[in-house]
Amino acid sequence: MALQRWIFGLSTFAIGAAAIALDGDVRGEGDHSGYAPVQPIAFSHRLHAGELQIACQYCHYGAETSRHAGIPASSICMNCHQVVRAGMDAVLAEKAAAELEQRQVRPVESVELRKLYDFLALDSELKPLPGRAPLAVPWQRVHALPDFVYFDHRAHVSRGVACETCHGQVQAMERMRQESTLSMGWCVACHRASSPALGTAAGAPDGPRLEEHVSTDCVACHY
Amino acid sequence: MNHPTSHDELLFPGDDPSPSRRAFLRLAGFGIAAGSLAGCSRRAPTSALSWTQAPEDVVAGRAWWIATTCGGCPSACGALARCRDGRPVKLEGNELDVDSRGGLCAAGQAALLGVYDSQRVPGPRWQGRSTTWAELDSQVGLELDALRKRGKVRVLTSTIHSPSTRRAIQDFVGHFADARHVAYDVPSAAALLDAHMHTHGVRVLPDMRFERARVVAAFEADFLGTWIAPVHFAARHAERRVPGGDRSMHVQFESRLSLTGSRADRRTRIAPHELRAALERLRDEIAVRAGAAAPARSSLREELGAAIERIAEELWGARGASLVVCGTNDLAGQLLVNEANALLENYGRTLDLARPSLQRSGDDRALEQLAGELERGEIDMLVCAGCNPAYELPSAFARALGRVKTLVTCSPEHDETARIAHCVAPEPHFLECWNDAEPFAGSLRLTQPTVPPLRDARTLRSTLRAWLGDTGSDREHIEEHWREAIWPRARGSESFEAFFRRALHDGVVELPRENVATPAFRGRVALEPSTPGPAGATLVLYAKVTMPSGAHAHNPWLQELPDPISKATWGNYACIAPGRAASEGLSDGDVVRVEAGGAVLELPVYVQRGQHEDVVAVALGYGRVGTDRFMRVGPQWIGASPTVDSGDAVGVNAAPMLAFEGGYLRSDVHPLRLVRTGRRAELARTQEHDTLQLPEDLAPHGHAERDLLHARDGHGGHGNPGLWPDDHANDGPRWGMTIDLERCTGCSACVVACQAENNVPVVGRDEVARHREMSWLRIDRYFAGEGDEVRADFQPMLCQHCANAPCEAVCPVLATVHSAEGLNQQVYNRCVGTRYCANTCPYKVRRFNWFDYAREDELANHSLNPDVTVRSRGVMEKCSFCVQRIQEAKFEARRTGRPLADGDVRPACAQSCPARAITFGDLADAKSAVARATADPRAFALLEELNVQPSIRYLGRERRAGRKEDPHGH
Repeated sequence: MALQRWIFGLSTFAIGAAAIALDGDVRGEGDHSGYAPVQPIAFSHRLHAGELQIACQYCHYGAETSRHAGIPASSICMNCHQVVRAGMDAVLAEKAAAELEQRQVRPVESVELRKLYDFLALDSELKPLPGRAPLAVPWQRVHALPDFVYFDHRAHVSRGVACETCHGQVQAMERMRQESTLSMGWCVACHRASSPALGTAAGAPDGPRLEEHVSTDCVACHY
Repeated sequence: MNHPTSHDELLFPGDDPSPSRRAFLRLAGFGIAAGSLAGCSRRAPTSALSWTQAPEDVVAGRAWWIATTCGGCPSACGALARCRDGRPVKLEGNELDVDSRGGLCAAGQAALLGVYDSQRVPGPRWQGRSTTWAELDSQVGLELDALRKRGKVRVLTSTIHSPSTRRAIQDFVGHFADARHVAYDVPSAAALLDAHMHTHGVRVLPDMRFERARVVAAFEADFLGTWIAPVHFAARHAERRVPGGDRSMHVQFESRLSLTGSRADRRTRIAPHELRAALERLRDEIAVRAGAAAPARSSLREELGAAIERIAEELWGARGASLVVCGTNDLAGQLLVNEANALLENYGRTLDLARPSLQRSGDDRALEQLAGELERGEIDMLVCAGCNPAYELPSAFARALGRVKTLVTCSPEHDETARIAHCVAPEPHFLECWNDAEPFAGSLRLTQPTVPPLRDARTLRSTLRAWLGDTGSDREHIEEHWREAIWPRARGSESFEAFFRRALHDGVVELPRENVATPAFRGRVALEPSTPGPAGATLVLYAKVTMPSGAHAHNPWLQELPDPISKATWGNYACIAPGRAASEGLSDGDVVRVEAGGAVLELPVYVQRGQHEDVVAVALGYGRVGTDRFMRVGPQWIGASPTVDSGDAVGVNAAPMLAFEGGYLRSDVHPLRLVRTGRRAELARTQEHDTLQLPEDLAPHGHAERDLLHARDGHGGHGNPGLWPDDHANDGPRWGMTIDLERCTGCSACVVACQAENNVPVVGRDEVARHREMSWLRIDRYFAGEGDEVRADFQPMLCQHCANAPCEAVCPVLATVHSAEGLNQQVYNRCVGTRYCANTCPYKVRRFNWFDYAREDELANHSLNPDVTVRSRGVMEKCSFCVQRIQEAKFEARRTGRPLADGDVRPACAQSCPARAITFGDLADAKSAVARATADPRAFALLEELNVQPSIRYLGRERRAGRKEDPHGH
């Protein structure tokens, strides 16, 4: 009777645990790797960083001088998208269609860029819509650390740690995804592997030569 | 039904043993919980809103500094506002300000909270209703039109140090047939100003150059704590307090133990009624030495007479490099002081009238005249700005305010005056508007906004200009005034635009000195013979270091900042000398009724050593209406008692007891009656032991011979055995600090700096009384001696970052460990709150979060430093040596490709210190300032005998000859 109950207990416990496990792969506490939320605008890092090879810090310009890399302001998008209003394929297709139909080329506007223009309260000619204020784009945050961690981008960028070391092959990601675990163990592993003896920071084989110790003190990040 | 087995009981106590739906759900629930623990949860989505338009020069997460001017008091110290993400989070002194030299007092730093005060008036009000500025301007305009030709209009302000605002007031006043501007200060310096009008023909304060004085005699002047411009005076005074040949001598004559008196080399108690006779004797003694015939001697207490003779001799010996200052608001007394200083040839040397101070301009005679006009109901319109007359003036004045036909106040909060005013035209906080200041003639400051206005407010300048039909902005008015009146005085080749831009960048401008003759001493002013005031009990009303005026009463940081002498928080109290307390059978916390000047107050007693037996001292600035907002400050739990009851106020207002006497607002009032009520009200004090006395058998060898807080000969001597040999491999810098106890005045600027920088919560009166205050940096105060000889020593106490730290040895979860740079790290996310570390800490500097302290005010939370974790309930915290600043300096050095230089890292406490008592840096670098200071023979480690090897060294005080108990004869 008791054995029976044990078997029942363990099996039901296992069902609950399995239900969670099926939901996603089993990971450590606080590990959100693989997180790739749907964004309000389907911005493609593959297109911008990969195909067009725009430097990361063109948009995330805080990485060099600040703790935060920063989520770019809509005005940064508009530096290009004031002019570029659709993908090359769509533009060429419209041009071909216009030639075929022997008509003027109509302006083409990408569906996703229209969302940006809507947030900025711009009409079809990109003139401000009267009576409407521009709104912030509610981007979904992908990389986030707990409140008691103070990661500093500037310290890493200035040592030549490449963005991909932590963020993965962003230039291949259609939708932004958290690649690394961002757990403390993952941070510390790299800090331990980087020392003046090794020459450069572990994630920065081409970076400047390390002259000082890479700290593994608690207060390097926690204060 | 089977009887359940013991196993079953463990698994499902009280349940039906057969498998049931309930049992299934329960177990599956456990499984889900366990699965979650394994970490499969997805993070809850969070939005990261982006800017629509990227602001120029602003990078998210990167601090920038805006040069501005502190508006906490009329001293107008240059300040830098540290801004993050579009809002100010910290105020610091501006090092380009030659007067404050980068220091900023406790009240100035705490003024940051004012901008995030959710109880500020949201916008203009007319006849008790909210209105728009346009509506208010048209209403007031109608009234003013009627008063233009006939009708009395008065503008009542505190000292206005802004030249462009003074100009606007002049223009406004000039528009009416009968209009005047009246300024006042509480505590008043009108007699000091009028005395200079009599003796030098100019109504200004001389700039007091303490750094040039070899001998300083101060009479009732708390110049290091509250008198006129304590930051400037402390910075200058400290320059001469370096032990060695050139150290200045400071003698204090005062009725109560002030911060300044506690630092004096010699101190004599004096009753307010003896002051004039003492000053007369001083003048006579100096005049005799200057060659005058010996005058008839006025009657004076023998010991006091001897003390005066002694200081007169010392002053004469240092003539030209001596200084007599006096804080009394008695014209006769101030005339005597001026004459003494003139005989000592101090004018032009230690007293500078070529660059006079404009930090006080209050005129008590004009105020008394206005009081008469108000009393007779003659005033048609009174515009109050920067002041709160219904609260801070004698009760008769406050009552007479009700007879004004139209009372306008520019108060930013719903204060006592706003409650009876017909019109409220709120002024903005100084951090959200344009302003200028001229604290010294030819020394200008600019104030620029650090945050867009959070309230619909307008400066007095704009309001008055608008009522004259000029709708320009503040910046336009200021630029216009500077172009017309300031820039020409610069006499430079710079264009106005370049001049103004430089002034804006630096925050301060020193104009070249005008080529005009400095006013000279015109000779003795005939006085009626001195009549000694009535002897007997006198009430002395004073300003507290931690609460310079009632304008700061809504500031929780200042309310909870312990008074450096009494260590009491949250409220005022009646200071009574020990002899009087003994004869009346009173002790700390007994509630007494104080009757003086036609008013009655009930206050708890604080027995104050070093106070004159005839004096009862009560602090001004308390009892402000609306301070019952602090009812819910601190944790709300079953054992809590509120800091203040609903409808009540923190402390009581003693201002109704102020009285006009001979045309001056006097803060010493007699007669005084003291009645005990039999009730008790415990003071919430952060330190209850007063003297440092070790039992002989516990004291280390030689302790009795060691002067308090003084260096012992020779260092170490223990061989310094460590707990863990070579455990703490030092790598890179080794951070350390020195604190010069000779320079430290106890002003507590560092305490507030630390609170602002490190998000230290306010806990409320009840928690302070339970010794649960959270300050990372406290100032320990030790008394020594009795009577005249009482002195207080201050010792800033913070985590000593011991190399052999006892806290690190006892933490079971390694939440406090040593860093490679010599820091004692506290890791909040590891801490489980055993509090072993706090028990074992010999310095008692660790603070435990007994609660999640209130962070309910969303607006107030904007003042939090985003670079420091807000700690939650159940974790230990303590000074981190401002590690966020260390990291910032390291990252910036790395980014800009240069090595970290000495002085790159300044913790908040060291930055704010007006006296520059705190030095911080790398002990491993022998050339660093801190390493050099550590090698000073005065340096000692606190509780060195414990061999905890602290990283902080204190530099001991040096005693001057004349101390009875001084065993060293320094």
